[in-house]
Amino acid sequence: MDDIELKRQLERVHPDCFGWAMACCGRNRDDAEEVLQTVYLSVLDGRARYDARSSFRTWLFGVIRQSAASERRKAWLRGLLLMREAGRVEPAALASPDAGIEFESRRDGMQHALARLASRQREVLELVFYHDLTVEEAAAVMGVGLGSARTHYARGKARLAAMLNNSRDL
Amino acid sequence: MDENEIRRRFAQLRESDRVRAPSFAQIYGHTRARRSSRAAPRVRPLLIDALVAAVASAVFAWHSQSSSPSTPRETIATWRAPTDILLRTPGSELLGTMPALGASVLDKIISTPSNKGT
Repeated sequence: MDDIELKRQLERVHPDCFGWAMACCGRNRDDAEEVLQTVYLSVLDGRARYDARSSFRTWLFGVIRQSAASERRKAWLRGLLLMREAGRVEPAALASPDAGIEFESRRDGMQHALARLASRQREVLELVFYHDLTVEEAAAVMGVGLGSARTHYARGKARLAAMLNNSRDL
Repeated sequence: MDENEIRRRFAQLRESDRVRAPSFAQIYGHTRARRSSRAAPRVRPLLIDALVAAVASAVFAWHSQSSSPSTPRETIATWRAPTDILLRTPGSELLGTMPALGASVLDKIISTPSNKGT
């Protein structure tokens, strides 16, 4: 695939990619844009190469997920180093990289409920309900087995429904 | 809450994201800017490497010229280790010569009236 074709494909799936990047970055728009830039750069530079084993969108979602995780780890380490230098807190007191996501966005009940789900459950639900992927495709994006993805899907859906019901009752 | 309700909630979320989404041109423009800014610094290390190599070779050439010996260099055949002196032991002269019949090995190192005349 040449640069022009790559650009055309990226443009076609861009809105979906932004939605998925938002999901991977705890609905933080700046982080999502940063991740998308990194991903597009690695695709155009050929560091991330499409192997046609899945659809272009599914493959790109996997790259976005990895880049977002990598950015989260970097941000977490940066925070750790800065805080250590400032001598304010012990490392154990810092939240894990994934936990940071949960505090990013609490705008409405749905986002709040999603943020309270385990990261794998949240991912599979976003991929299936938001992006209309099959559970199998979601498993490919997440890099987990189909059985594992199905379990996360079922548990996540039940937990999300319970949380949304509770918030409705309140 | 049924699956349709979950689906409906996700659809709302998707719509709100679509409204906030930056255009592809915007992200792609930033990507291209990052790409070109990454390409530029690659030239700089190469120039620095070339400069360092040039300076190092100039210094080496100057050093080898200035330290060229005016006296001929010692060849490996004539070279002796500085610690060779430690191998010299008292009486090594006696062991390094072949004694002749009718003569004493001491004749060479002790001057006696008989060998003074010879």
